[in-house]
Amino acid sequence: MSFFNIHLPVAGIEFSALLLILIGFCVGVLGGFFGVGGGWMITPALNIFGFHMAFAIGTPLANIFGQSIGAVRKHHRMGNVDWKLGLISIISSVIGVEIGSRVIISMERAGDVGSIVRWCYVFLLAGLGMYMLYEYFVLHPKQLKLAEDIGEKAVGHTTDSSKISDKLRRLNVPPMIAFPASGIDGVSIWIILLVFLITGFLSGFMGVGGGFIILPVLVYLIGLPTTIAVGTSLVTVLFTSAYGCFTYSMKGRVELLAAFIMLIGASIGAQVGATAIKYIKGFGIRLLFAIMVIFASLSVLTEQFYKMAGKHIFQALAGIVLMGTALAMTALIIGRIVLEAKKERKA
Amino acid sequence: MSITKLAAPLAIALAISFTLPIINHQYQTAYASETGNSQETELKHKIDTSKLSGVDYWIADMYNNDRVMYAVVVTLVMAVLGTSMAFLTDLVLKALGLEVSKISHRE
Repeated sequence: MSFFNIHLPVAGIEFSALLLILIGFCVGVLGGFFGVGGGWMITPALNIFGFHMAFAIGTPLANIFGQSIGAVRKHHRMGNVDWKLGLISIISSVIGVEIGSRVIISMERAGDVGSIVRWCYVFLLAGLGMYMLYEYFVLHPKQLKLAEDIGEKAVGHTTDSSKISDKLRRLNVPPMIAFPASGIDGVSIWIILLVFLITGFLSGFMGVGGGFIILPVLVYLIGLPTTIAVGTSLVTVLFTSAYGCFTYSMKGRVELLAAFIMLIGASIGAQVGATAIKYIKGFGIRLLFAIMVIFASLSVLTEQFYKMAGKHIFQALAGIVLMGTALAMTALIIGRIVLEAKKERKA
Repeated sequence: MSITKLAAPLAIALAISFTLPIINHQYQTAYASETGNSQETELKHKIDTSKLSGVDYWIADMYNNDRVMYAVVVTLVMAVLGTSMAFLTDLVLKALGLEVSKISHRE
């Protein structure tokens, strides 16, 4: 492997270029498929393999920015991007991120807040994942049965999710705004701004890109079809990561050469991940997303055990859970796309 | 949606993405000098360039002497490489029969 080792001038370490491309590829596939950035995976991965934490946080943001450009372009071609909603979301998201990051900085003055942030992470991810599993295995079959009974075709949203987004849409606080690309006739702009202010706040507070929060918010609170939610979430990821890339570079926390090499794998992965959307139904995407966030929360929980008990076995386990989940998901998506490619070639 | 309708929100989004870091940078520098906490602020270390040459030297020198230029270069390199790689991968996927077009949004 030393054949592939290169010197990274800013981080001042030797690192395997092949490993960088592989990490980038996995993150790209997951990013293009789920509409997330993937910083939650790259940061620990780089750190585990020897990156100093100062660069393990900033470098992924540069990579995510680059990979999101291609992924957004591809989703746009598939009609999965609601530009109007995506661009409006950025405005309040970025303000929310700033408020969240300032709250966390203020809290740091009072002491260590890492533990609070990790618990928030665990409960948020696990809660989201469990709800999505409940929806897939309980609510969705019920809805299908109901649709069968009354002889109508299922429309895709579960009763519960429709209720939440419908209730929000019924709040008639002007000005109202329509999002035709998402099939939304009218919703108060204040609802949209408030929802994204909260997701931005959570991103800033927990120090994450926020793609994994935005996707379920778009599906359950705004009522977007899953594939449009993925593409639109990527628009937000694109701009927030552009912001992160620029600001972290100014702070000297981005290793340009590593980000460059990682992006070669990530760009290819993002195109593959975005293409896979074509072959998997909305509920299938939600199921895989639910499994992924539950394992991500398990990884953070294990990391928290390490902080509490000080045993390195927990830290290693956290890395293994995270990398294992990412690799398994990537393999699953690639497997599906290879099968479909074979089918299309035969046809 | 036409590009003219997108121009205003796009301009606001771009402005936020690239001017807020500068404002934030000022705030966090002030915070660091007040508290001595440098976790969120600029890394002060300088790279030893005496053994470097070529691209490595160029990157390290820029990193040491002009962080704003370094940030601009990183952002531009990522944008250009991201776009070019996406274009090339698209061609390969098309050749493999995995061309994409508008899809139906089925759940």
